[in-house]
Amino acid sequence: MGRKVHPLLGISAGLVFLFLIAPLVLVLGAAFNDATYLAFPPQSLSLRWFERVLSLQNFMDAFLVSLTVAISATALALLVGIPTSYAIVKHRGSFPSWFSSVFFLPLLVPEIVFGFSLLKTVIVALELPVMTALIAGHTILVLPYAVRVLGASLSNFDFSAEEAAVSLGMHPLKTVLAVVLPNIKAGILAAFILAFITSLNDVSVSLFLTGPGVSTLQVEVLTYVEQYFDPSVAAVSVLLMAITLVVMVVLERSFGLSNVVK
Amino acid sequence: MNRKWLPLLLTVPALALILFLLIYPVGDTLAESFLPLDQGWQRYVAFFSEPYNRTVILRTIKIATITTVLSLIFGFIAALFITRCPAKYRTPLLILSVFPLLTGAVVRAFAWMIILGRKGLLNNLLLNLGIVDQPVPMLFTSFSLVTGLVYLFTPLAILSLVGVLDGIEKDVLDASSSLGANPLGVFTQVILPLAVPGLIVGGVLIFTGSLAAFATARLLGGDRQAIMPTQLYEKAMVSFDWNTAGIIATVMVLVTLVAILAMGKLARRFNPATGG
Amino acid sequence: MKMTPSEPLVLDRVSASYGNTEILKDLSLDVRPGELVSLLGSSGCGKTTTLRLVAGFLTPTRGSIRIGERDVSRVPVHKRNIGIVFQNYALLPHLTVRDNVAFGLKQRGVGNTERDRQAMEMLETVGLTGLADRLPSALSNGQKQRVALARALVIRPPLLMFDEPLSNLDAKLRVEMRVHIRALQKANERTAIYVTHDQEEAFAISDRVAIMDAGRIVQLDTPEVLYRRPVNEFVARFVGFENILPMQVVERRGKIVTAALAGGATLELDQGEFGIIPDHFLLACRPEGLRLAAPGNAGVPVTLGMRTYLGRAYQYQCDSDAGPLIAHGAVDKAHPGVGTQAVLSVAPQQCAILPAAKS
Repeated sequence: MGRKVHPLLGISAGLVFLFLIAPLVLVLGAAFNDATYLAFPPQSLSLRWFERVLSLQNFMDAFLVSLTVAISATALALLVGIPTSYAIVKHRGSFPSWFSSVFFLPLLVPEIVFGFSLLKTVIVALELPVMTALIAGHTILVLPYAVRVLGASLSNFDFSAEEAAVSLGMHPLKTVLAVVLPNIKAGILAAFILAFITSLNDVSVSLFLTGPGVSTLQVEVLTYVEQYFDPSVAAVSVLLMAITLVVMVVLERSFGLSNVVK
Repeated sequence: MNRKWLPLLLTVPALALILFLLIYPVGDTLAESFLPLDQGWQRYVAFFSEPYNRTVILRTIKIATITTVLSLIFGFIAALFITRCPAKYRTPLLILSVFPLLTGAVVRAFAWMIILGRKGLLNNLLLNLGIVDQPVPMLFTSFSLVTGLVYLFTPLAILSLVGVLDGIEKDVLDASSSLGANPLGVFTQVILPLAVPGLIVGGVLIFTGSLAAFATARLLGGDRQAIMPTQLYEKAMVSFDWNTAGIIATVMVLVTLVAILAMGKLARRFNPATGG
Repeated sequence: MKMTPSEPLVLDRVSASYGNTEILKDLSLDVRPGELVSLLGSSGCGKTTTLRLVAGFLTPTRGSIRIGERDVSRVPVHKRNIGIVFQNYALLPHLTVRDNVAFGLKQRGVGNTERDRQAMEMLETVGLTGLADRLPSALSNGQKQRVALARALVIRPPLLMFDEPLSNLDAKLRVEMRVHIRALQKANERTAIYVTHDQEEAFAISDRVAIMDAGRIVQLDTPEVLYRRPVNEFVARFVGFENILPMQVVERRGKIVTAALAGGATLELDQGEFGIIPDHFLLACRPEGLRLAAPGNAGVPVTLGMRTYLGRAYQYQCDSDAGPLIAHGAVDKAHPGVGTQAVLSVAPQQCAILPAAKS
């Protein structure tokens, strides 16, 4: 809109941003604090909580599980999401108007209901292994994000370029691979990152799908916080934030955050 | 291959996943909570005659509503600022807004445990300033729960609103002023109604999100502020009472549905140009 | 409907800047009550800045703006009482046509029934009665334009302003709408400022036109005067004098002056028609002022280039010793091809005398 900023708006916006960022700064402080209790500002700095986290076997195991699940679920969601977005953006007219909302249903069903239903109906009945169950659940969880970002990216793609390639004699299937996909590369990357982070951070669905010895990092951390309230959780948090930050810089560089926001 | 069916064919894998892994299981949970009809009816009657269950449902709705309203207000303020500040601050502020969204709910609840705990930052501050002489219990209250949820969802509100506020043409605001609307009038008669689609999308996502925010509810609300997600988990995974868990799930879905319909209706009242 | 009297608009040595760049410098302009003055110029000339200053979206760094007796230089936009028609219409997308028109009345505290009555009356004036309950998204550009016009008129402002209001319409509708706008402005006796980059549109609609360049008004005159007697090369080129020839007076006999072109060809001009002609000057000729003639006639010798058909005449790109020229030739004769030597005879009534460029 680009109009003048009223001082009152500036001040209240400042407070909102402070509200958003201050708690994370506190976590950062707690992670580097030498003390065994949570205090801010830290009295003396140390890396002992990071050492402790890295030595906790169940955290490391859970991190590997989370990573495997996130990568697999994201890859699967993209695999089915790309043709879906392509079809609903390019052939908008061939579908009823409600059609695309089907792919956003996972956002509207409370995750905890979804997790419970999945456990009860599919997992228990089919006796799926925990890993498969987690990947299945997370694929559904991240699918809307993939479809949305890919859809936004495809909406900016001029499909006449595809028609031009076909008119010049290229096979339609090859055109999709050689003309369409390279042009939405940034969108695919953004979708991957967004889906990946969503999966990595999930608690509510994973809660029902984890099994003996196989758990995701977020579920482990949740259990840990409930039992021991010490700064090692802050250290895990900082490690997760670091990963997120790196991922976000890549996201901004490659696609522009403003485009993801739409 | 028939060209007409190609678009549909491309969506089949995703549709199959949604159908088999989402619609079928959730549908089954809902249906099973009612079946067989006579027993289902009895289970619902028993469930609702328990005052505790009614308390939890009402508390959930109340907390989710307050969370939605507060997050939207905070989000509106931040989004309005982002769309009006000089262009060079835009991206840093957007990153600032999105960053918390990309860290997990557990981490973010944990941050508020540090602040609101008995030996937490806020209590330390109050004690040192001599405002109180013993720690105020702030954790596991509706205050801590709402704070944690608003913290969780404000970034989502910002993202839903930046888009619509960006979409308001500067000329439309200029035109309103030139026709005699003062700054408050421009806000209430133009900006606010035009932001309605964003408020609705954000509102729906935040409301449903609040119904699913298990980690936040568990860490900041605890047993004393049990809401439907924590209760569902309790029934399903601790006492293995899947009948009751199914009823809770059904109620959650119904509450979500009613909330979505109500917000859509509200939207059309304030901005008839809202589609759908 | 109650009539507010139309009022004059006075800009007195107004300057404005964006950051450190000065966009307008000591701009003065008097618009008489009920008069329509166009600000004409290419993008970046300061015409839109001037409009935004008068509207109140910008504050002048120096100088004052008065509407009637009122100095509005520091009055906020919403209290200025100016009706503005925007380039992209700027209709409120969430309000019906009727409510868009009534919006300004609502801000002025006009009651519900009266508001509706006035809005409907104004919609009738612009011929949109049947569309009162539509949303702007369901209107064509031309209809949106009419709503924007009705919305600006209904508040009976002492000053109307138009910011390139027709640039999003197709050619036919543009001509139709400018007649409509002019008629409504006259009938309502509103003082008006009209910003455009389209010379034909400005001339068609205005009482007077201000031609702007680099933040200044270069010439302010009636269209008739601007068309025949531009004050300098910039205005001349803007109003269609495509040929500018540097000339030097070689002989003066009473009112008749003989001047020579760089290439040596001479030409006789009457000071009775052009006023005093200085020793060095520029001769501005429209293409139709340079007529193709056979070699040997008096005039400017040229080599013919590309020919295009204009309907009433052929237009020729020519090469002369004084540089490239654009000339017209009659359609009814056999025509010489590219590279032919010819002579252009000058028709003084299609020419203007300009001061020589400062060097």
